[in-house]
Amino acid sequence: MHMDVRESLDKEILIFDGAMGTMLQSRGLQAGELPELLNIKKPEEITAIHRGYIDAGARIITTNTFGANEIKLMDKGFTVEEVVHAAVCNAMEAIGGTEVFIALDIGPIGELLEPMGTLTFDEAYNIFKRQVIQGVKSGVDLILIETMTDLYEAKAAVLAAKENSNLPVFCTMSFEGNMRTFTGCSVDSMVMVLQGLGVDALGVNCSLGPKELAPIVDRILHISKVPVIVQPNAGLPTVLNDCTVFELSPKEFGDWGYRFVKKGVRVVGGCCGTNYDHIEELTDKIGGMDVQDRPYISFSGVCTSTKTVFIDGIKVIGERINPTGKEKFKEALKNGNMDYILNEAIGQVDAGAHILDVNVGLPEIDERATMIKVIRSIQSILDVPLQIDSSDPEVIEGALRYYNGKAIVNSVNGEDDTLDIILPIVKKYGAAVVGLTLDESGIPSRAEDRFKIAEKIVNRAGEYGIDREDVYIDCLTLTAAAHQEDVVETLKALRLVKERLNVKTILGVSNISFGLPNRDLLNRTFLVASLAAGLDLPIINPNDQDMMDTIKAFNVLWNYDSGAIDYLESYNTNTAIEPQVSNKPTKELFDIVVQGNRDEAQEATIRLLQDKGPLEIVDEDIVPALDLVGKRYERGEAFLPQLIQSAETVGESFKIIKEKLGENSAEKLSKGKIVLATVKGDIHDIGKNIVKVLLESYGFEVIDLGKDVPSETVVDEAIKNEVKLVGLSALMTTTVKSMEETIRALKEAHPTCKVMVGGAVLNEEYANAICADYYAKDAKEAVVIANKVFG
Amino acid sequence: MLYVGDSDIMTLCIDRKEVLRYLGYRGQYIGSDLDSLIGECIDETKSIIKPRYTYKAFQIVRRDGNIHLMGCTLTLEGRDIARQLENANLCILMAVTLGNAIDTKIRYYEKVDMTKALILDACATTAVEEVCDNLCNEIEDGLRYRGQKLTYRYSPGYGDFSIDIQRDFISVLRADRGIGLNVSSHSILVPRKSVTAIVGIVDIKQAEGEKGCLNCSRYLDCKFRKAGDAHGC
Repeated sequence: MHMDVRESLDKEILIFDGAMGTMLQSRGLQAGELPELLNIKKPEEITAIHRGYIDAGARIITTNTFGANEIKLMDKGFTVEEVVHAAVCNAMEAIGGTEVFIALDIGPIGELLEPMGTLTFDEAYNIFKRQVIQGVKSGVDLILIETMTDLYEAKAAVLAAKENSNLPVFCTMSFEGNMRTFTGCSVDSMVMVLQGLGVDALGVNCSLGPKELAPIVDRILHISKVPVIVQPNAGLPTVLNDCTVFELSPKEFGDWGYRFVKKGVRVVGGCCGTNYDHIEELTDKIGGMDVQDRPYISFSGVCTSTKTVFIDGIKVIGERINPTGKEKFKEALKNGNMDYILNEAIGQVDAGAHILDVNVGLPEIDERATMIKVIRSIQSILDVPLQIDSSDPEVIEGALRYYNGKAIVNSVNGEDDTLDIILPIVKKYGAAVVGLTLDESGIPSRAEDRFKIAEKIVNRAGEYGIDREDVYIDCLTLTAAAHQEDVVETLKALRLVKERLNVKTILGVSNISFGLPNRDLLNRTFLVASLAAGLDLPIINPNDQDMMDTIKAFNVLWNYDSGAIDYLESYNTNTAIEPQVSNKPTKELFDIVVQGNRDEAQEATIRLLQDKGPLEIVDEDIVPALDLVGKRYERGEAFLPQLIQSAETVGESFKIIKEKLGENSAEKLSKGKIVLATVKGDIHDIGKNIVKVLLESYGFEVIDLGKDVPSETVVDEAIKNEVKLVGLSALMTTTVKSMEETIRALKEAHPTCKVMVGGAVLNEEYANAICADYYAKDAKEAVVIANKVFG
Repeated sequence: MLYVGDSDIMTLCIDRKEVLRYLGYRGQYIGSDLDSLIGECIDETKSIIKPRYTYKAFQIVRRDGNIHLMGCTLTLEGRDIARQLENANLCILMAVTLGNAIDTKIRYYEKVDMTKALILDACATTAVEEVCDNLCNEIEDGLRYRGQKLTYRYSPGYGDFSIDIQRDFISVLRADRGIGLNVSSHSILVPRKSVTAIVGIVDIKQAEGEKGCLNCSRYLDCKFRKAGDAHGC
């Protein structure tokens, strides 16, 4: 009977229905009432609204299931399955014998995902999955994921739709006038990610009227490879006689629809404030119009939800998140010390890296779990796009699933096995991929042979539906010490790939100098030669100022930095950097800590180490200084920021002291291990982090489990690390319950471990009631308690 | 009527005194470094936040000792909110948020510079309260000619007014769709720097003497009041 939605999308302009909520409100829906329950309570009303839209000319109607998810339906007396099924039945009833499609409507869950909120990606996925499965069972024709503001949530929904149905998936997000969603997602990021995930149509709905949406629609049409859908509100809301009304008349709405279709939009409908008249006008204006050809630009690029990096010039990939040859890094990976890794990430971004390579390959750890953890940690504080560096398909799959944005996979090579396993994963998640020019027989010496492998990779990627602009070829750097004659072949191959395949190129540069003296010089020289040969993505250490400077200079000379704007900004300070001769008397470490002069701490520590040992400094200078500040704080002579400044100053000093103490520093310096966590459900962890800084300044080793931590994790870590003290924080009455449960679990599994608690809603009495051993009224008190426990 | 705004009309100043108050400041000496850091943080906060608000007025219906709102599914339970609204026939439900970006920035600084994270957090708290104040002032401007004014803002979680109402509160205002304000499974508002509150509309005459800390259920243990600084809560 029905034509296929995908077929129709190719042949005709599809018209959606208008608002459901607006219609229900005008029929007396109360504020706060769930419209989805009316599917069961008043099915005839829902069917009547659907019928109204069908009569107005809608080719697709949307089920009344925007919020029919298990979170919003909790305690409402009906299951997701019941509501979805009833809604689809209402839609079918309305359709009767007409040629109209039914779209299963899926809106945002209503809770934010991590790292903003506490809902996990998997939980979100499973919530959507239930809706999809029932929708399919009840017989919808397509799935409409709409009004999304969080790209990560949209991704969970699209995956749930695609992995649990074969139906077409349309997805729209809602933007503000600044071309961002509430959570900061950009139009470009949305397009890159959604089309990468393989939706059938993508676009924008709600929040604004067609006029305000026009620039957003233009941008989407300019870059999207897939059909574009637009569902505007009926203009902007205004308040008239105490009622909210939308300003746009049906006629104007229809005119806008016509303009959109002329520009290449393929699916049009209405959102808030639209009614039958708007859809009728739309049908009059665009019904029967031909599908317009639409040119779009192809580009290479990667992104996170809030940041897009176009590979339209030289972009630096930071190589530092990699344990190879770095003992401290390996240690951090084994201990799950995310702070160490995060600092590497932050440092590289500050130094100017555009993308970070992430490699956590270490034989003794679970690479997949670690990779996911590192990606999540980085994405919770930085917006830099990432390159997943692993050869293990399971690691790559996990990384791409939980990464928010479009990533690069590093890497595949010319071996058929690798290509046929990894390329489908790359395609499924819409990533870009690095192709190494090597295969079963190793790295060919001759440039022509490397080119052939590159060509094979690009072609095979194409067979899997991965476009050329998403394949970055690595012609491989061999060390000049061992393969001197091959260096030129790498450069030749680079040029060939660039010229004949017209793809982006990537290269790890620093390897060239391995085994030779003055490595920096060789690295820099090779970098220039590679850039001149057509390298787009050098993988380097961005903390190496010379390398970064070289790229800036190259950009001027090759006219990439037009007008030398970037260059001038970097170097034209006019203040020749003179060695700073300070006339200030040199301050003692003690005073520096007391005054919290963080920048001066390392130097003063180095100075002091000439006279005494590291542990002496701790006992004679650092601890007395901290005690003084602590006393001032208790007496009200200092306030919290000053206490923290002093503690952070000690942190700087400790970096030098630990180095001096050598590799086993932690044990020698450590006064004891303490596990800290903000309990399950709670996301306020600034208080806990203050306690951490202060405890660390007193020489305690803190195992920070972060926020929203399940009680099992606290128990596991406490036992694994044999800690004597656990600190828990909760800021809300609703999460003190989690605190109580965590304490109970700890007391059962690890009875000798003491528990201290803190947080705004707690007091001594409350702490006793939930069986905590200690109540810390503030961070200073936590130190007193720790000293008591370990004393 | 439901109003949604992105606060263009509100140019925030983020009062340094308020920032210091949230940091627990009580007249101590502040060095020039810390002083300029606070200034920097105020500026940075202004550049990151994207304040948005929404509010809606409801007729109050008193039934079974509880407060019901006309045309709305919400019931306001508890003695404190009843006392708060005892002279009001109308009340306004409001929600304000600064957006996610400031949360991310604070999280970022917690990794690199805790002092700055702490100050930024205080700046953001000051900012969200300022948005609330400005919004209330604006609403009050429109009420004055009717001889009316607003009561104190009262938020879920104050006194015996349960925080579990957050989800329904958001849903009534459609604040998730309108301003991007959500609530977690543990009734925590996300983005973090957000406020939901209820204010009553009362006749100016009736309201005389109503303002002040005595109405607050935390009157006895309020550390700000003890320190001689009124209206801490």
